[in-house]
Amino acid sequence: MKTKFINALLAVTILISSAASAQRIMIKGSDTVLPLSQKEAELYMKTNKGANISVVGGGSGVGIAALIDGTTSIAMSSRPIKMDEKLKLQEAGRSYKEVTIAFDALSIIVNPSNKVSQLTREQIEGIYTGKIKNWKEVGGDDMKIVAYARETSSGTYEFFKEHLLNRKNYASTCLNMPASGAVIQSVSQTKGAIGYVGLAYIDKSVKTLGVSVDKGKNFIKPSKETAKNKSYPVVRPLFFYYPVKAEATVKPFIDYILSAVGQKTVDQIGYITLDNK
Amino acid sequence: MLSSIVTTLTVLLIIVFLFSEGLSVFKESPLEGDNIIVLNHHNTVSHITSSDIKDIFDQNITNWKSLGGSNDSIILFTFNDIGNYFSEEELGPEFEFLPAKMDSLLESENGMIAVFSSKYLIKNHKSKVIQADNITPYSFLTGKEWFPTANPAVQLGVLPLILGTLYVSFVAIIFALPVGLATAIYMAEVADEKTRRVFKPVIELLAGIPSVVYGFFGLIVIVPLIQSTFHLPVGETGLAGSIILGIMALPTIITVSEDALRNTPRSMKEASLALGATRWQTIVRIVIPYSYSGISAAAILGIGRAIGETMAVLMVTGNAAVIPHTLLEPVRTIPATIAAELGEAPANGIHYKALFALGCILFLITLTINLWVEFSSKKRRFGK
Amino acid sequence: MEKPDISRKRLAEAIAFWIFRLLSLGVMGILFSILGFILYKGIHVVNWDFITKMPEDGMTKGGIYPAIIGTLCLISGSMLFAFPIGVMSGIYINEYTKDSWYRRFVQLMTANLAGIPSIVFGLFGMSLFVNKLGFGDSIIAGSLTLGLLALPVIIRTTEEALKSVDEGYRHASLALGATKLQTIRRVTLPVALPNIITGFILSIGRVSGETAPILFTVAAYFLPKLPSSMHDQVMALPYHLYVISTSGTNINESRGMAYGTAVVLILIVLILNLIANAVRRYLGKKYKTN
Repeated sequence: MKTKFINALLAVTILISSAASAQRIMIKGSDTVLPLSQKEAELYMKTNKGANISVVGGGSGVGIAALIDGTTSIAMSSRPIKMDEKLKLQEAGRSYKEVTIAFDALSIIVNPSNKVSQLTREQIEGIYTGKIKNWKEVGGDDMKIVAYARETSSGTYEFFKEHLLNRKNYASTCLNMPASGAVIQSVSQTKGAIGYVGLAYIDKSVKTLGVSVDKGKNFIKPSKETAKNKSYPVVRPLFFYYPVKAEATVKPFIDYILSAVGQKTVDQIGYITLDNK
Repeated sequence: MLSSIVTTLTVLLIIVFLFSEGLSVFKESPLEGDNIIVLNHHNTVSHITSSDIKDIFDQNITNWKSLGGSNDSIILFTFNDIGNYFSEEELGPEFEFLPAKMDSLLESENGMIAVFSSKYLIKNHKSKVIQADNITPYSFLTGKEWFPTANPAVQLGVLPLILGTLYVSFVAIIFALPVGLATAIYMAEVADEKTRRVFKPVIELLAGIPSVVYGFFGLIVIVPLIQSTFHLPVGETGLAGSIILGIMALPTIITVSEDALRNTPRSMKEASLALGATRWQTIVRIVIPYSYSGISAAAILGIGRAIGETMAVLMVTGNAAVIPHTLLEPVRTIPATIAAELGEAPANGIHYKALFALGCILFLITLTINLWVEFSSKKRRFGK
Repeated sequence: MEKPDISRKRLAEAIAFWIFRLLSLGVMGILFSILGFILYKGIHVVNWDFITKMPEDGMTKGGIYPAIIGTLCLISGSMLFAFPIGVMSGIYINEYTKDSWYRRFVQLMTANLAGIPSIVFGLFGMSLFVNKLGFGDSIIAGSLTLGLLALPVIIRTTEEALKSVDEGYRHASLALGATKLQTIRRVTLPVALPNIITGFILSIGRVSGETAPILFTVAAYFLPKLPSSMHDQVMALPYHLYVISTSGTNINESRGMAYGTAVVLILIVLILNLIANAVRRYLGKKYKTN
């Protein structure tokens, strides 16, 4: 019964997609990768007139769900695919491939008026798990710490938890912001604020902090250089997932992103280029 | 006429779809996939709640004594630590020796707890497998912690979200209803035609401002204002949400109640005035009671818009999932949670179902409000 | 004896009216400051290129043409579905049902539907239209979701409009030997039309600004071509505003585009309102109501 239904669904999808042109590519998923994919698609279509690439957001989960349903040609994700999603892909009989298209350095930011300019990983963990509540405990002014986090389900939230909080859960008093732009806005107008965003989002209204993962021996500030030479500790890959079946259609576009021209766009937007040479 | 049952049909369909997805969350174990909890067989603890699991893995509980077991300190095991115990050769190329190794490892340490997939459990295992409590409606509704992606056990307590939603919305309506009603009365009964002709389109226009714009206006203007007025460390508070929601509910309340006020038959008003009542008395005694159903409709629509409002609230309330004690703290509402998390939740996973369950709760809250207003307004009309 | 009593009443009335007037002006003040804020920030971005060009350079330059078209598609799609059904339903409820158990039940359901939050419509639209019926993310799924959202507004206002038609008209028409249907078509509807149109405009306003219901049913971030069928996805103004104001990496550069989009959205609603007001005034003159 269920398979029949899924078959019917598939037939409909195929009908719809075959009605459109064969060159059509649908990219769906993570909001973090969204601006990058959009710009790449825009530039790619300028040189390849026949191409027709749609870019749709919704989140990493939506993208991978669409990959499972077979309704997208590429799923963008800011986190590696999860175990149960892998299982579902296997059940649906879809083999897929993973490509890393760029890197993103997660930067810790504070209000520019804040005296503190560096923190150890242990201090960051203390702040986000609610054990450190005042800036004077980490060498700043006597001021309450307001910790801004991203939404629980965003890839950024997970990544931060895994790499800086020793997998401990955030304190429930953390403020969860829907998007990185909102984090920047809030940190820039709240004196006691601390937050984290991708390097691409940083502007003059906030101050980035040096981070130490070796208990305070070396503090590294986030920048494209420190991210590239791996001295900055919090760098994450951004992924494209695509079904093997669609390889012929999507390969030229992915090759374009991985090419020198495509990587230049990555750099312009503020993400970190792949260093495959 | 078929068309008249279309709303009934829609409501029923919404109930069916929402609840079939949402209620399935209650059959689930809080552990991800087919994971199980395994302990040393000497361990006397046989029952563990999902919040205990979280406390154990956050290292807030460090001794089995606090869970009623023996005095052994807890040793955590996750798959990421596996390299500390075994080399890759020991596990075999396809991890075929892993189940046996896991079993002997667990038996070697009295205080060890491990969470892993049941397919790595050896058949005649010595170690003890215990169950985590399934998610029940009671734990869902009364739980105070919302960590839908926590590992290894999710925490699905929606009490802070429910209270946050109700708190912000009701304060918003307390702001908006008197102001909105006063404006509606002014427009319908007091102002001359010329003033009304200016007011009416402007207010209709304001209903058309997208909520995202209100959200940004709130974040850039109202949030810093509240922060400096009340000398708070943080401006993203329930109050900011209430003010924005109040403003957003105004056009709805004004338009609907004004239309209702104007529908009072002229003959009734004239009769009242002819009997020597002032215009004010006529408004209070005749016009408002007559249009009570319309005004309550305005209140419903206003509350509906406030409770269900998503984008603006998402941006100004700070979204911390804690039970609010004052309006000057960050709060998190149900719609904001759904909108922010649905996109990233793996489809049909436990988090996804939990968000549908939140949708059900939201639906039930609005339904209750609607029914309550509907019945109370009817009583008035027939009691007269 | 009666004189001081009357003057006290008059004083109370004057005070009450002044309070109302001040509150109304306060409301107008708040609303104008928000409007002014957006217009001030966004109006200089809006020009002919902005509304007729595709987005360029990572959404920081160019225009929002596809989003405007997308929103118009969604408005017309949802209204095509919701307006006839809504008006018919309103007529049926007000003219054909007595104050019975059935009528109260239908009215209750309509009120309930009106109270359902838009994000719940989004969840429902996603699970029914997108997944169960297999429409996928498409105009048709988004339009149906938005249509359901607009339905109770249209039904309510139609009902209220018909309720406000003086019974005298109906009795006169029926007395002259017209059938019930003729009465509705020739007398009741034309008199109620201006208010029905208000409902129509209000619901368009609501539909065009909603983000939550289209988030998971139709909205796309970037499409190179305009939609060609009901099964295509579209870009839509409110969603476009949401994404470019929150998820671009260059918030400051795209902020101008965001305010520009907001201005266009407001202008669309403004133009619709002006049209509606013109129609209302024209018809109002033709058929004098109270």
